Amino acid sequence: MSFVDILATLLRGAGYTLLITLACAATALVVGLVIAIARELGGAFLSAALWALVYVLRGVPMLVLLFVVFFGLPGIGLDVPPLVAMMLSLGLISGAYLSEVFRGAFAAVNSNELLAAKAMGFTQFETLRLIKIPQMLRFSVPGMVNELTTILKYSPFAYTVGIPEITKQAMALVATTMRGLEIYAAIGLLYFGIYWLLLSAVRLVEKRYAILGFAEE
Amino acid sequence: MSLEAFPFFADLGAYAPEILKGLRNTILLSVTITLTGLLGGIAVFGLALSPSRIIRFITQSYISLFIGTPLIVFLFLLYYGLPQLGLTLSPFVIAVFGFTLNVSAYNARYLTIAYKGLDQAELESARAQGFSRFQVFRLITAPQSLRMSVPALTNQAIQNLKDSSIVFLIQYIEFFAQMQEVASRTFLFFKTYLFTAFVYLLLVSIIVLAARQLERKVAIPGMG
Amino acid sequence: MAILEVRNLVKSYGEKTILDGVSFELEEGEAKVIMGPSGCGKSTLLRCLNLLIEPSSGEIRFDGEDVTREGVDVRALRSRIGFVFQNFALYRHLSVLDNVTLALRRLKKLPRREAEERALHELDRMEMAEKRDAYPAALSGGQMQRVAIARALAMDPKVLFFDEPTSALDPIMVREVVTLINQLYLENVTILCVTHDLCLARYISDRVVFLDHGRVYAEDLVENLLGREGDPVIDEFFGGEG
Repeated sequence: MSFVDILATLLRGAGYTLLITLACAATALVVGLVIAIARELGGAFLSAALWALVYVLRGVPMLVLLFVVFFGLPGIGLDVPPLVAMMLSLGLISGAYLSEVFRGAFAAVNSNELLAAKAMGFTQFETLRLIKIPQMLRFSVPGMVNELTTILKYSPFAYTVGIPEITKQAMALVATTMRGLEIYAAIGLLYFGIYWLLLSAVRLVEKRYAILGFAEE
Repeated sequence: MSLEAFPFFADLGAYAPEILKGLRNTILLSVTITLTGLLGGIAVFGLALSPSRIIRFITQSYISLFIGTPLIVFLFLLYYGLPQLGLTLSPFVIAVFGFTLNVSAYNARYLTIAYKGLDQAELESARAQGFSRFQVFRLITAPQSLRMSVPALTNQAIQNLKDSSIVFLIQYIEFFAQMQEVASRTFLFFKTYLFTAFVYLLLVSIIVLAARQLERKVAIPGMG
Repeated sequence: MAILEVRNLVKSYGEKTILDGVSFELEEGEAKVIMGPSGCGKSTLLRCLNLLIEPSSGEIRFDGEDVTREGVDVRALRSRIGFVFQNFALYRHLSVLDNVTLALRRLKKLPRREAEERALHELDRMEMAEKRDAYPAALSGGQMQRVAIARALAMDPKVLFFDEPTSALDPIMVREVVTLINQLYLENVTILCVTHDLCLARYISDRVVFLDHGRVYAEDLVENLLGREGDPVIDEFFGGEG
C-alpha cells in the first residue's frame, strides 16, 4: 500500500470525524445555551441544580461517560446508537464547559445597556433575547472555538463504540500493513489539518461578522 | 451493615485487590504526568521567550502541533510505531512520555498567556538592574507567570486525571481498565461504569478543594 | 396641561430616605431642569418617574393617569418616556440605525421599512444619518449622545428625560450637546433634565427644580435662583459660577 492509498482510506474516515465533531458541537451548543440561560433566568434552586449538573459533567472523564451511555444504558433497557452515545457523552460534557463560557460572557454584558432596554419598555425576556444573548454570543466566540477544537480532539474515542472515523480506519490499516509509525504520523497531521481548517474557517466567519471595536472592552 | 445488603458492592468487593491496584496506577500516572508536565511546561515557556527567532519558531510550532492533535493519536504513534524502530517500551513509559509532551505544550501556553499580562516595565527594570536574561526568567518572569496561571495549571491537573482514563487503550492497566474487567465479569455494566464515574468525580473533587487552598495561598496581594 | 404631576414622592431604603416628599409639575412643551448637590436624590427621582425604581410612596400622574397604582402598564409608560442616559447606553452589538429601530420594530411592531424611515428621519435631525451603519464603538461621545437622543425621539415620546447629559463628555463635546438640546428646547420638546451643569440649565430650561436632601428646596427661573444673594444652600452649590 502506498502512502497515497493510506491517505485515501484515512480521508474516508475524516468524513465520520467531521460528522461526530459537528454533531457533538451542535449538542454542546444547545446544552450550553439552555443551561446558561436557565441559570440566568431561573431561581436559586434551579441554578444550584444546574451548577451541580455542570460540576458532575466537568468532573467525569469523557471516555467513562461514553461507556456509561453506550455499554451501561442497554443494561437498563436503553439502546443508544454510537453517534447518539457520542452526543450524550462528549456533547454533554462540552455543553457543560460551554455553559460556563456563556455565563462568563453574560457577566460581561454592560448593565447600562440593560437598564436602557428596561427604560425603553422591553420585558426581561425581550432584553435577554435582543440585547443579552446577541452580545453574550459575540463575547463567547473565543471560548466556543476552543471548545470546538476540544471536541475534535476527543472525537477519536468514537472508535471505541465502532464508528469508522479516522482513528478506526488507521487501526485497521496498521493491522494489515504493520506500519504504525507512518500511519499514525499521517493521521496526526490529518487531525492537525482539520484543526487548522476549522480555526481558519471560524476566523473567516469571525472577521466577516466582527463588529468594529467590540472586542476591545 | 454488611456488604450483602448491597449486592453490587458485594460484587465489587470480590475484585477489591484489582480495583485498588488500578486506582493506584491511575494516581501514580496522574501525579507523574502532572509533575513532568509542569516542569516541561516551564522549560518550554522559557524557550518560547528565547531571543533566538528560530528557537521561538520551533517552540511555537511544537506547542501548536500538540495542542492541535489528539493525545490518543500520539500515544498510538508511540505504542504501535516505536517497535517498528526496534524500540519497545512499557505502556507506563509511553504514557508518561506522551502525556508529558502533550501537557507541557498546554502548560506552556497558559504560562505564555499569563506572561503577556505581566508588567513589562518590571521586567525591563530588572534587566536594567543588571540581572541576566536567565536570572530575570528564574527570579521574576517564571514565578509571576506561575502564580498567575495557578487556576489554569490546576485545571490541567484535573484534566490529567480524567485523561489518564484513556491509557487502557495502550494496555496500561489502570482504574478504568480494571473496572471494565469487573463489568465484563459481572455483566453489571451500568452500575459499574456509573460507580467508575463517581470515583473519578470524587478524585476530581479532592483536587478542586486542594486547588482552592493553593490559589488562596499563592495569591499575590493586589494582583488579579 | 401638565404631562407630569409629582405629589409628595418618597423613596427610602430602610432607614435612608433619598426622596423626602418631592412635588412638582411638568407642563407639555416645557423644559425643566432638576439640579442640586450630589447625593440630593436627583438621579433617583428621574428613575422613579418611569418606575425603573419603585417609589416608596407618593403619587405620579403621567398624562393624567396615576402610574403608581397597582396594575399599571409599566412598559407602556416607559415606551412613552424617552430616556437618555449619562453614559448613552447604546447597544454595542447593533449599528447606529439598528439601535434606533430596535424599539420601533420590537415594541411598536412597525415593519422594517417604516421603522428605518422614521429612524433615519430622527438621525437626520441629529445630523447622524451618515453614520447609520457605524457601530457605537466607532463614535465619539458627542456622536453617541446624538444617536441616544435620536433613539429616544424615534419612539415619539411625550417627554424626554436626560440624566446628566454632559457629564461624560469633554468640554468641546459639552458645547455641542448643549446646543443640540437647546435646539430641542426651541422646538418645544418636553424635557426633564437632571444636571449639575449650570450652563446647560441656562440654555435648555424655563425653570429649575432645586433639590436638597431629598426635598424641593426651591423652584424658580435660573436667573432668579442665581439672584438669590445670601442663600447658603444655593450659594454653596453655584459657588462662584454665577
